[in-house]
Amino acid sequence: MTGPGAAEAEDLAAPLYVAWQITNECNLACLHCIEESGPGKAFADELDREQVFAVLDQLLEREVPYLSFSGGEPMLHPHFFAMVEHACDGGAQLKIETNGHYLDPANAARLKALGVKAVQVSLDGASTATFGRMRVRGEFDRVLDGIRNLRDAGVPIEINFSPARFNMHEIGAVVDLAFELGAYSFYTGRTMYTGNAVKAWRHLEASEEQYATFFATLRDKAEEYRGRMRVYYHEAGLLEELRYRLRHPAALLIVLPNGLVKLINALPFVCGDFRRDSLDGIWANFRRAWRDPRVAGFVEELAEDPGRTRSLHQWVHL
Amino acid sequence: MRLAPYVKFREENFGGVLFETRSEKVYTLNPTATAVIREIAQGDAGGIAARLKDRYADHDGAIDRETAAFIAELVARGLLAE
Repeated sequence: MTGPGAAEAEDLAAPLYVAWQITNECNLACLHCIEESGPGKAFADELDREQVFAVLDQLLEREVPYLSFSGGEPMLHPHFFAMVEHACDGGAQLKIETNGHYLDPANAARLKALGVKAVQVSLDGASTATFGRMRVRGEFDRVLDGIRNLRDAGVPIEINFSPARFNMHEIGAVVDLAFELGAYSFYTGRTMYTGNAVKAWRHLEASEEQYATFFATLRDKAEEYRGRMRVYYHEAGLLEELRYRLRHPAALLIVLPNGLVKLINALPFVCGDFRRDSLDGIWANFRRAWRDPRVAGFVEELAEDPGRTRSLHQWVHL
Repeated sequence: MRLAPYVKFREENFGGVLFETRSEKVYTLNPTATAVIREIAQGDAGGIAARLKDRYADHDGAIDRETAAFIAELVARGLLAE
């Protein structure tokens, strides 16, 4: 047995992880949203029920061990619970990534009964004011109630935090709050300049000095909660991450609500379409696409112009 | 003994992979390690070393030692549960 992270996509018969943005519809309109989700923002061509279950069946048949449903707000998908049930019954470990506004006691209990691996809730502040500034239309107290409902139902909880210049000072308090609410993992990193963030960048952009303080606090918190809650944070910038991925592609497919498959979230490249391609075909093309010179070229263009990330939604089919 | 909750196993041409989905860590397995995990995943953990000895030559007791060490490592990493 080799150490963690040693499996190379090139050697695998199928992905190990499929991150599926099942709808672009959302009840919120967050300043930093990569997907530019929001009310009325569902794609016109999102997969229908039959297509959704056909994709799920392929993932389960190929024993993809780990799936996540995100959005938009995944709980707004008309077939959300049926999809959860199908994935869990089929043996996949399933994580739900939600804004936490629909986690009433009944839904929390249902997610527990269906056997989800975890529910990850976005919590971008430790106060109503800070949270509400990032999560436009968001209700801080409702999210906290939702997390408590998960805890009471026995659902494993993860918390995700997106930093901005106006909320970074609360990072220590948010980590503490996550632990108090019963989370077992906490995730954060650098907010990307793409999607809604392009328009809101003057409100979001943090200095390197702010990030230095932010990550120093996280280092302390990771130590403080060692053995009780995992505190994950990615200090690396986007360019460093992408250069690493060029050499070591993760065995991860990003599926969009309309069935298109992205190479990685931070690049504009599409390597398949579940409306017309099989999982096997997409997986083969995914591995080939990472070697396409246009991918490496785009990454190096980012070194010259980090603002290229503003065009990630202008998809390039490989 | 069984795979721990949140641990998934899949066979591959080179052997197999174990995916610990809580920490999102992936472990690659050679064919012999895969054979051990396959038996555990099928709920047949007892007497693994004896069955491996039926399939592989074992002149110096290495299978017993290596199987025990491998299982101990799996337990230490939280990948197996009693």
